[in-house]
Amino acid sequence: MAKPEKLKEPLNLKKEVRLTPGYLLCAIWVVFTFVVVGWVICASMLTSSEIFSGTMMRTFFERLTSFTLRFENYVKAWTTQKVSVFFLNSLIYTTISCSCIILVAAPAAYALSRFKFPGNALIQNLIAAALGIPAIMIIMPLFGLVTSLKMTNTRFTIILLYIAMNVPFTIFFLLTFFKNLSFTFEEAAAIDGCSPIGTFWRIMFPLAQPGIITVTVFNFITIWNEYFMSMIFANKTQVRPVAVGLYNMIQSMRYTGDWGGMFASVVIVFAPTFVIYLFLSEKIIAGVTGGAIKG
Amino acid sequence: MKKSMRVLSMFIVLLMALTACNSGGTPAPAPTPAPTAGDASQAEASPAAEDSGIEPGAQLVYWTMWNEAEPQGQVIAEAAEAFEKATGVKMDVNFNGRDIRKTLEPALAAGEEIDLFDEDVDRVINNWGAYLLPLDDLVNASYDDTNGQPYRSVVSKTLMDLAEQLGGGSIQQIPYQPFIFTVMYNKDLFDNAGITSSPKTWDEFLDVCAKLKESGVDAITVDDAYMAALFGYTLDRIVGAEKCAEMVANLDFSDPGVLKACELWENMVNEGYLSTKAATNVWPAGQVDEFAKSTVAMYLNGTWLPNEIKEQTPGFNWGSFAWPAIESTGDGIEAHNYGGQSYGINKNTKYPNAAFAFVRWMTVGEYDQKLADESMGVPMANDATWPVQLAEAKEVFDNSSIRLAWAANMEDDPEVNTVIKDGLSKLVTGAYNAQQFADSLAALKK
Amino acid sequence: MIRRKNTKMIVIFLTPALILYALVFLYPVIRTSVMSFFKVETVSQPVSEWSFYGVGNYIDLFRSNLFNVSMANILRLWLVGGIVVLAIALLFAVILTSGVRLKRFFRSVIYLPNVISAVAMGTMWLNYVYNIDYGLFNNVIKFFGGDPVMWTGPVTLFWSMAIAYGFGMVGYHMLIFISGIERIGIDYYEAAGIEGANVFQKFFYITLPLLKGVVRSNIVIWTVAIAGFFVWGQLFSPVNLSNDTVTPVNYMYELVFGASSSANTARNTGAGAAIGVMMAMLVVIVSIVTTLITRHDDVEL
Repeated sequence: MAKPEKLKEPLNLKKEVRLTPGYLLCAIWVVFTFVVVGWVICASMLTSSEIFSGTMMRTFFERLTSFTLRFENYVKAWTTQKVSVFFLNSLIYTTISCSCIILVAAPAAYALSRFKFPGNALIQNLIAAALGIPAIMIIMPLFGLVTSLKMTNTRFTIILLYIAMNVPFTIFFLLTFFKNLSFTFEEAAAIDGCSPIGTFWRIMFPLAQPGIITVTVFNFITIWNEYFMSMIFANKTQVRPVAVGLYNMIQSMRYTGDWGGMFASVVIVFAPTFVIYLFLSEKIIAGVTGGAIKG
Repeated sequence: MKKSMRVLSMFIVLLMALTACNSGGTPAPAPTPAPTAGDASQAEASPAAEDSGIEPGAQLVYWTMWNEAEPQGQVIAEAAEAFEKATGVKMDVNFNGRDIRKTLEPALAAGEEIDLFDEDVDRVINNWGAYLLPLDDLVNASYDDTNGQPYRSVVSKTLMDLAEQLGGGSIQQIPYQPFIFTVMYNKDLFDNAGITSSPKTWDEFLDVCAKLKESGVDAITVDDAYMAALFGYTLDRIVGAEKCAEMVANLDFSDPGVLKACELWENMVNEGYLSTKAATNVWPAGQVDEFAKSTVAMYLNGTWLPNEIKEQTPGFNWGSFAWPAIESTGDGIEAHNYGGQSYGINKNTKYPNAAFAFVRWMTVGEYDQKLADESMGVPMANDATWPVQLAEAKEVFDNSSIRLAWAANMEDDPEVNTVIKDGLSKLVTGAYNAQQFADSLAALKK
Repeated sequence: MIRRKNTKMIVIFLTPALILYALVFLYPVIRTSVMSFFKVETVSQPVSEWSFYGVGNYIDLFRSNLFNVSMANILRLWLVGGIVVLAIALLFAVILTSGVRLKRFFRSVIYLPNVISAVAMGTMWLNYVYNIDYGLFNNVIKFFGGDPVMWTGPVTLFWSMAIAYGFGMVGYHMLIFISGIERIGIDYYEAAGIEGANVFQKFFYITLPLLKGVVRSNIVIWTVAIAGFFVWGQLFSPVNLSNDTVTPVNYMYELVFGASSSANTARNTGAGAAIGVMMAMLVVIVSIVTTLITRHDDVEL
């Protein structure tokens, strides 16, 4: 069966008019977002006194139009504040963690959502319960444990923790996806002599791709921005990720008043997550509409 | 395609896992014999190394409360490198930031190798007192880098006495980066308003406020971080430090002095001396939005303030004076909160002499002065020069014979603090009058 | 549900997740829960120093003004915030799936605030949007001839915080709604269109009922976020706690670490543990209740 093509519809005025209220609402929200985010970006290129004057935007636009924008804050953040080190760490942590999370959570979600066995409901409730536990409740006993094992500030520990902390949410999210896939697949695969494990990896896993991609994007952003656990378990400069680095910069800024530098770090930190999100959102759309056999 | 993706991801995982295990590394340094290079540098280095009995092959793990980005952090990093070069002691500095307050205790309890750490002078003794090495012998001994004098005599007497008092008669920590919490003011605005001397009593203070208001600026402001201190200092001048501590400990604010304090501030609000922004200032708005822009003349704050807003205030003319006296039943202008950060040496350290040598490195001589200069802070050594911005603060410091707790104890209990913040801001917006404010405090009693 | 014996597969698939779970959730939770019944001062105190206190910690908490204020705060956030944010998210989700152009663009931009670090967003809201003199909101108000509002004053600070937080969360919940709506087959809408249904009828009779599961997910996710509400409370009261911004986890943080400037604050990890237990219970209750409500309404597509 051919993939339905998304035709570029000719401009249907009647339809567009009907949708105007929708456009308006979206437009207002979007404009506000731009103003707000724009402010952060502007602030990242100014000094503290300029930020706190009432004429911040004016100063920024003057610089912009006269091509005299200054990027010292960025240079400072990247080099002296060791943001490059933090960046690399975060990259390592996020990519490894996200892959492992899927490897652990997808099979578990599959097993829980489509098979009846004793303890299924219990496990699902336990997982939901895990979501509600404040991180602080988990971190401190674990810190005691990890310290006595002398494993603080190792990459292995922090990655393991990232994976473990995000598996419940991922399972929770994927449960819905797997639940809604038709059972004919397993039956067809069984008839073809495919083992249950093979059925999962070759058929069900790919079918759940849209959900998996969405949740991976969420996980990526969560781990990238995660600072609570990293602060406790990975605080040494060599292993520190970007969010903790940012947090430390902000703390320092509290005492030195370098707000411009802080905002520059913030932009550096959020740029990758946004780019990844933009890039992957294409896949999400493609995945959602394509290829499933109905009923 | 999916299968190969899976294989690829597993391969990456494996690869990364292998690299990950190698690149982490635990913080506990393995003891190594002293390198020969170290011996050579000891010979050519300052006499300090030879006389202080530094253990050969010493390595220090130093957990500091500063962030690398802060001026203090930068000076410490530089000093540690120089110290290592001069004495051969390997320095491993961990810049924890203020989160050291959370992470130090579990680490110490689990026996992690930490030789030296620093934090606020109260916190070091309250939170980690059990891990401190008593330093009396070390402090009373003489060294080359203290010019043959006992260490104790070349650094701030006020602070060493404080350390001794906090340690119950024994010196368990070495203070540095002292501060005092007092009125910081904008000298130019004062000159502009024709004020020639600093106020010593509340009435003189009100005069000063009136002159400032006439000259077109707000007299004083505050933000949510310092409201408890503002109220607490006022209360202290009415009923005295001990009573303040009692009130907070027993949650008993029924004393008439409380109402008096509320009325004084109601008056300040009504006369327009307290900036209306005090109701909406979220830290650091008070200093950054108002004080730094010279729309406000005074701020009850710490001597760290010049450093915190130095980027916005080049050429600022700083002055300080003591919080004025109010009633004879309260404390006078000699009572302030002062303190500092301080170094604590782990009692389980293998290298106490090396650790103390580093402490001396930081508190006497070149790096003590550097720390003070770069962070616009107060030096420890008696012969060092205070930053020009804190010249008047030094007078207040030298004349402070009574030590108040932080915010006169008003922040010890978050319940008290939140009620004060609420009350003071509602006083400014007019939602409360003095009686209502006082009542909200009295209602704290369980 | 398939009832075949797939035991081997099930075991293999579930084991890694369960091991991680036991290590990272079960152990700490059990330890913390037990701790909540003891008087414990600091987090790393050895078990031998704990003294039994029964439900004392819980009782003390309910007698504490600050704790009660924090609970009232999250209740307001959960109820009012939840309704407003989820409604807006659903609205945008419906708009974006109803065939507007630039759908991808709108979606990315609406989600953008969620991607930016909360610290940056919070600072921006506080210092720019809510500034009493030259802030965005007051500028707009002045433009229309109104009086400037004290956004960060007593009482209003809470709602300002809620708005700032909600703004960042709309995109996130919208995405979840969109993924739910897009799974509803177009046939339903087409059939309804042929029968003459208008936009609102399509929404209430097709979209909403078929979204029950997704609505439930969103409610649970929102509840989890509110129970753990911490960073924004800290951002809007950066140095110490305020009545307007304190939430249970902020209070717990103070209890466990004595986070304020005063070094004399008594630390009470036992009470902190009790707060943790209570928050976890809240989420479990909401999760169970919402599952019960939506259980019979799951339509198989």
